[in-house]
This record gives sequence, C-alpha cells and structure tokens, in this order.
Amino acid sequence: MSFIEFKNICKRYPGSEKNTVDNVNLEIEEKEFIAFVGPSGCGKSTTLRMIAGFEEITGGELYIDGKKVNEMAPRDRGIAMVFQNYALYPHMTVEKNIGYGLKNMKLPADEIRKKVDWAIDILGLEEYRYRKPKNLSGGQRQRVALGRAIVKNQKLFLMDEPLSNLDAKLRVSMRTEISKLHRELGATTIYVTHDQVEAMTMADRIVIMKEGVIQQVGRPMELYDHPVNQFVAGFIGSPQMNFFDVKVEDGRVYFSDGNQITLSDGMVKKLAGRSGDMILGIRGEDIKMDAQNMDINDENHLHAVITDTEVMGNENNLYFSFGGTQAVARVSKYEVSQIGDKVDFVFMPSKMHFFDRETGVNYTELQ
Amino acid sequence: MVSKKQKRINWILVAVLLVLSVFFLFPVIWMLANSFKPDAAITADMNSVAAFIPPAPDGNFFDNYIEIITNTSFLRYMGNTLLYAAILIVLGIIVNGLAGYALAKINFPFREQWLLIIMMLLIVPTETVITIHFLIIAKAGLLNTILGYILPAIVNPFNIFLFRQVFVSLPDDVYEAAQLDFCGPVKYFFTMVLPMSKTVVATVSVFTFLNVWNDYLWPSLVFTSSDLLTAQIGLNSITSNENTTMGQTLAVITLVTIPVIIIYSLFSKQIVEGVTSTGSKEG
Amino acid sequence: MKKKNSIMGMAFFGPALVLLTIFLFLPMVLTLVFSFTDYFALNPELTHFVGLENYLNIFKDELFVQSFLNTVKFVIIIVPCQCIGALVLALAINKAAHCKKYFKVAFFVPVVMSLAVVSTLWMQIYSPEGILNTLLANFGIDAQPFIHNASQALPSIAVMSVWQGVGYQMIIFLGGLQNINPALYEAAEMDHASSWQQFKDITLPELKPLCVFVFITVTIGAFRMLVQPMVMTGGGPDHSTYTIVYDIYETGTVNWEMGLASTMAIVFTVFVVILTIIQNVLTKDKEGKKHGIKKAKAN
Repeated sequence: MSFIEFKNICKRYPGSEKNTVDNVNLEIEEKEFIAFVGPSGCGKSTTLRMIAGFEEITGGELYIDGKKVNEMAPRDRGIAMVFQNYALYPHMTVEKNIGYGLKNMKLPADEIRKKVDWAIDILGLEEYRYRKPKNLSGGQRQRVALGRAIVKNQKLFLMDEPLSNLDAKLRVSMRTEISKLHRELGATTIYVTHDQVEAMTMADRIVIMKEGVIQQVGRPMELYDHPVNQFVAGFIGSPQMNFFDVKVEDGRVYFSDGNQITLSDGMVKKLAGRSGDMILGIRGEDIKMDAQNMDINDENHLHAVITDTEVMGNENNLYFSFGGTQAVARVSKYEVSQIGDKVDFVFMPSKMHFFDRETGVNYTELQ
Repeated sequence: MVSKKQKRINWILVAVLLVLSVFFLFPVIWMLANSFKPDAAITADMNSVAAFIPPAPDGNFFDNYIEIITNTSFLRYMGNTLLYAAILIVLGIIVNGLAGYALAKINFPFREQWLLIIMMLLIVPTETVITIHFLIIAKAGLLNTILGYILPAIVNPFNIFLFRQVFVSLPDDVYEAAQLDFCGPVKYFFTMVLPMSKTVVATVSVFTFLNVWNDYLWPSLVFTSSDLLTAQIGLNSITSNENTTMGQTLAVITLVTIPVIIIYSLFSKQIVEGVTSTGSKEG
Repeated sequence: MKKKNSIMGMAFFGPALVLLTIFLFLPMVLTLVFSFTDYFALNPELTHFVGLENYLNIFKDELFVQSFLNTVKFVIIIVPCQCIGALVLALAINKAAHCKKYFKVAFFVPVVMSLAVVSTLWMQIYSPEGILNTLLANFGIDAQPFIHNASQALPSIAVMSVWQGVGYQMIIFLGGLQNINPALYEAAEMDHASSWQQFKDITLPELKPLCVFVFITVTIGAFRMLVQPMVMTGGGPDHSTYTIVYDIYETGTVNWEMGLASTMAIVFTVFVVILTIIQNVLTKDKEGKKHGIKKAKAN
C-alpha cells in the first residue's frame, strides 16, 4: 500500500449542487514531492485541507500510512503544514513559534532547544531568534513557518501556496531552498500552487486539477510533452501552447485562413483515421525558423508577419498572426526579427497535438 | 490656511472655554481644597477665594483623611471593592470571552440565533430585572455574601458582543497551525486568542472595573453587613452618619475618586476609544 | 466534525448561557408572569392571577403617576441641556486654537466620578449654608432651599446630572467631528463657502446620525434616573423627585409587591425598547445614505 491513498475522495459543501472535489483517486509514495496545480477554485486547496483534516471528507476514503484518517483529528494525522499567510503566532518570538509544537508534545526542554537551534540554523534565522513576526519580512516569516513545520519531524508536509505572498526574486530562491529541505529531510511533501513554474521546478510528480477533477498526474516532462487534454496542454508551459482551429482531411491540415500543411506518416498513424474539425496545438519552441529545419520540411513552409517581439535575452518570443489567431514562436537569440519582418517557418511534424473541439481530449496521446 | 479673522475667533473660543471650564470644575476644586480643612475653616473660607485653595500644609493637613482611615472601615470597603472588581474582571473575561469566541468562530447549532438574542439583550434596561435578581439571590440564601453579589454580574451581553466582534476577525489559519502544534481549543483560547486580543481584553477589564467601582444600586441591595460593603455604599453610610464632618465627607468622596482617576489616566486611550466607538458604531 | 463543533460550541458558550438564563431570561419571564399576578414576595402562597388589573391599577396609582411625571420632567430638562451642551462644547473645543487636551479632560472629569460621589458632593454644595448660597449672596440673591424644597429639588438634581453627564456625549461628538473627512471642508473652501455654510452644510449633516444616537441614549439615561434622588433626597420632598425606576425598586424590594413592581418594569421596558427601536430606524436610514456618499466618492 502506498503512503497516502485517495479512494474516490469527494467534497461537497452544504447547499451546493456540485462536488467541489470530485472522485479523486491517487496514490502517493513515501518521500515523494507532489504538487497540486490548477487555476483558483479548482479544488486543490480543498483537497489539501481534507488531507490535513480541516475540511470534512464528504465521500470516499483517505489513508495515510495505512490508516484510514477520515475521522481522525488533524493533530493525530502526523502532519506538518505551511500556510499561505504563514499563520505565525503573533505574540511569540521566532524561537517560541518554532518550538511551540514541541513544547506541547511535552518534550524535555534541552531536546526542544536542540531541535529549535537546528531549525534556526538551517533556515538562517539566528539573528531574528528573539523577534516577533510583525518585525520580520515576508521571506523571514516564511522561513519561520517552514521551521515550525520541520522541527516536529513529521512524515508528511503540507504546503498551501507557501510562496504566493513573496516577491518574484524571493520566490525563486525559496523554491530552491524548499527543494533542498525536501531532499535533506526526505519527508513526503504535498505542495499546492497555482503557479505551474513552481510545480514544474520542484515536484517529482504533478497533479493537475480543474473544477474538482484530476486532469492528469505525471512527472513534469510527461505533462509537458504528453498532455492528455487541451486544458493540461494550455496550463503547463509558458508562453502558452499555440492553439489553432483546423480541419483535418486525408492527412492534410486546413487552417481557417486558408493555409495548409501535410501531416507526417507518424502523425497520421497517431490520429488513427480521425478527421474533421479539431484543435491543433503546438508549443512555441516547436515552431522552427532555422535553415536546417526549414530544409527538412520543405513542402510545409508557412509565412507570417511579426507583430510583436519579446526579447528575453537567451531567447526571443516572436508574435505573429496565423491561422485566424495570434501565435507565438520561441526562437534562439541568434534568430533576430523585428516587428514588420516577414518570416517563413515550419511546425515540427512530430510535436503537434490534436485535440477534440468539444471534450479537449488529445487524440495524439490516446494509445 | 486659517485666516486672521478665524484665528482671532479661535483665540476668543479658548478664552471662553477657559472661563467655562473653571466654572465647570468649581465643585471638584472646592471638594479637593476643602477636604484638607476642618469644618470651621470651610465655613470661614466660604465667602472668599480661599474656598478654592487648599490650606497651607501643616501637621493637621491630612487630619480628615487620617480620621476617615483610622476611625471608619473605609479602607476595608475600598479593598472589598478592589477584590470584587478583580474577581469579576477574571470571571467576566473567561465567561464572556469564551461565549464571544464561540459566537465568532465555532460553528455550533443556532449560532446566528444566539448572536441575535445577545444583541437584543443589549436593549433591556438592567434596572428592571434587578428586583428579580434580588429575589433570586434572596431565595438562594446568598444575600449578604460575595457570591450573591458576584453571580448576577459575571455575564454581560455587551462584553460578549464586544469580544465576538474582535474575535471574528482573527485569522483561522493560526488556529489550524496551533492544532497541528498539538494545542487544543481551550488552551488555544487562553494562550493565543486572549494574548492576540490584548486591546479588547484591556477595554473590557477597565469598563468592568469602573462598573464595579461606581455601582450603587446592586451592592446596596445585596450587602447589609458592614464587613462586605463596597466603597460607594460605605461612602453613603459614612457620610450620612451625623458625626461625620463636612471636611471628612469631602475627604471620603475624594478617596473614592482617586482609584478611578488613576485608571482613567492610565487607560484614557482605551476609554476614549470605547466611548467614541459606542457612538460611531451606532452612527 | 459537526458533532465536535456542537460539543465545543456549547462548552464555550455554556457558562455564559447558564448565567444568561438565570439572570436575564428567567428574570424577564418572571417579570412578565408576575405582572399578571398579585405576587407578594413575603407571602408567595397567596398569589393569584389578576389579569390586567395591575396594568390598570398602576395608572390609577397616584404615586406611580407622579413618579412618571417627575421622570418626564427630568427628561425635559436634561435632554436638551445635555445634548446641546455637549454638541456646543465639542464644536468649540474642536475649533479652539490651544489647550484642547486640557478642555477634554476638564469637561470629562465629572463623568469619571460615581453617581454616589457626585450626589454627596452636590448635597454639600446645595446645602442651605453651602458654597452656592454663599456665592449667590454676593449677588444679592437670597438663600435658596434647592434640594430641600419640593419645587426646586427636581431642577437642582437635573442641573447636577447635566453637569456630570455632558462630558461623555462631548467626547462622542468630538470623535464624530474628527471622523469627518477634511477634504469636505477643503472642497467647500474652494467653493467659497462661509464658516457658517460649512457648519450648516457639512458638519451638521455629517453629525446627524450621531445626534440621533446621543439624543436617544441621553433620553434613555434620563428615564433611568434613580441614584441621584436616592442619595440626595430619598425621592422627596413630598415625592417631588421620585422617579419610575425608584418606584419599581421600592415597590419590589422594600414593599415586596413584586406583582406591581413587575408591571411597572414591563411598562418601563416597553418604553425603553420603543425608544431604542426608533433610534435604530432613524440611524439605519442615515447609514444607508452615508454609504451612498462613500460609493459616490469612490466613483
């Protein structure tokens, strides 16, 4: 049995017609770092709070470490949690905040001292030891919240959007710090975020949710390369995957503005005879403009005029109108283009995704 | 910018207010000044400015006060009142605070209805139930006991409401964090909620003290034994005694007022806030 | 979890609920029940249900009618003096160039003193050979009996009450004045409004809800008049300072006629509740308007 097991977990609030979290089935292994991502209101926080025991589970069963915990009080579930707004005890110093749980566990004073010292040391909080939360910066408060979680030596860490209140730069450095802590402590971590970059960079596996339903579970690159539906494809990756309304007939793709390309044999095979109205998805970096790729796909050249550019330094985002919509290509910094330039490009034949217009299912990932 | 004319008006206002405040304070100044005088001096000074000036400090300066302190039980009455106030502050914070917390944060059956009832109780004038309180306490055989005095005064709908209003804005995640730190609800209330809400605890304490210290009607009903009297009732029994001089009377009422003045000067901010909030809440 | 919340909720709310039941709900119910009986506390076995008899009797009872009229007299003197006095003081102090802090304290001092202290002090001041008569003599005015005379006692106590209470409402008004957005006055200045116009068009409308609040609380306070006559005159001379609450108190706890006292208490409570409801209705309306203004500003 896995460390954590969700069996048909549902959450329905009283007076609501719909399940906020609908029929979640999931297994999480020990020491795994799992990220729940999704837009706000997708049920990811509710799921986390059900694991913590702050929300009642209205359907299904939840097992932690082999024990059914549906009715168990939060304190008995063996968890530590980092909250979005830190939830520090405002009238206690940093040291007291971190040691409070240990004190309530009735540990001997010298042991508490040792553990608190250890946490303060690895989080670099020594000079703030005797300060109260209101005299700390956001990043420092976040560290205290982490310290409070790690000293208790629990096997499961829950983190609810812990970095959402920090500025961009601090968020990046805290990301590495949390990953490092996870490697060193080895506690199973469930991390909720609306930021796909956090999920991609930190997690072993990502759970993508939408409207209370799990869309896909997998390793970051699995989700990036093989999204099961249009929602996952659009949610993961920045800039967002390009989507075009197209018609597929006899191995050819017809764009709404009259452009057309021929599909590769491999792609035709993947589509398994499906044809008609679809959505074609392709990532910006799979739209190529370099000579080598242009040569390989010489019969499928497409043309457009650059309407906007984003210079990132290491690479450039080029925006252009194509296929009845606004598209973006990610090209290397050596391929310089300016607004108004006419460019030729090709879609990488094997990197295209075809989605059902109604259900969003990715036909190319169905096998 | 304030114009010249405006400035002159403001100065006239200051002058008028100064004169007015002197007239306004004359009873208090007269009380203080004459509490140090023997009756003969009070009468003699009455028709001159001396009526508002304390006598030159000499060996007899504090005679009235010494007389009161040594020959009556007045210090004891003040001590009694302090004790009752302390008990009622502690019990009041616990009982009303717990109730306010329940109404603010615990989702128990009929919570909204209870809150509505508490708010309606704020309207009922307490004088009208005081006769029944007296009946209940008498039937319970608690007349002339500290318990009989304390019991009806512990619960206070206004304080429950006040606590509830403050507690409702406390963050929920701190409670959740505390739960994971093995802190139960009762411990959380005493070690987290109350320290996080120092201002309202101070306000309720101050107003409880002032209520107990200044209350007249209820202690006059409950207490008959002179051992248990509160300062206000003791004051009345001392000043209505024919042997008490005018100077001693003034000394007694000055003594009763001193603790209140101390409390007001220490907590003037909370008190002014409390007073203005009763106004702004309604307005 | 629901069950846990109910248990915890009742554990927290329980102590207050028990005390509320014994000392507020039960007394309220008993008062209502007693008001329809001739309950005599020293002989409860002889209690009969008398229907509305008490309600009819109290209005025939000369003493109750007199105490009612006395209370109304108190209200008529105290309410305008205290409300207008507090407003004028607050406006003056708010405008005063200096010594604001001193003025606030000076006019608040009597509020600090207890009713018993103030009453005792003013008994000395009002005494026939007291300081007030001595001062009056300087202006050629004969000695006045003040609280020892049936026609002067009530106004004398009323004046003292205003003296004691006015500082409280003054602080409320000062708080209200400070809450007025200064931008309003700056805007009015731009529109060439005179000081009087600013007062009439900004200060007064902004203070209106507070005025209603102060007016009603002072009125209720005056209706509850008890300790001052109790200490100073014992309700006399000739019951000229006897008030409703005094009557309730004596009927119930001195004469033990709980039935009658309860009836008076019910009548009195209904009166106070009606006043409070009037206040709520009046201020609610204003609040709506105020929000309207805030919204308009935001836009």
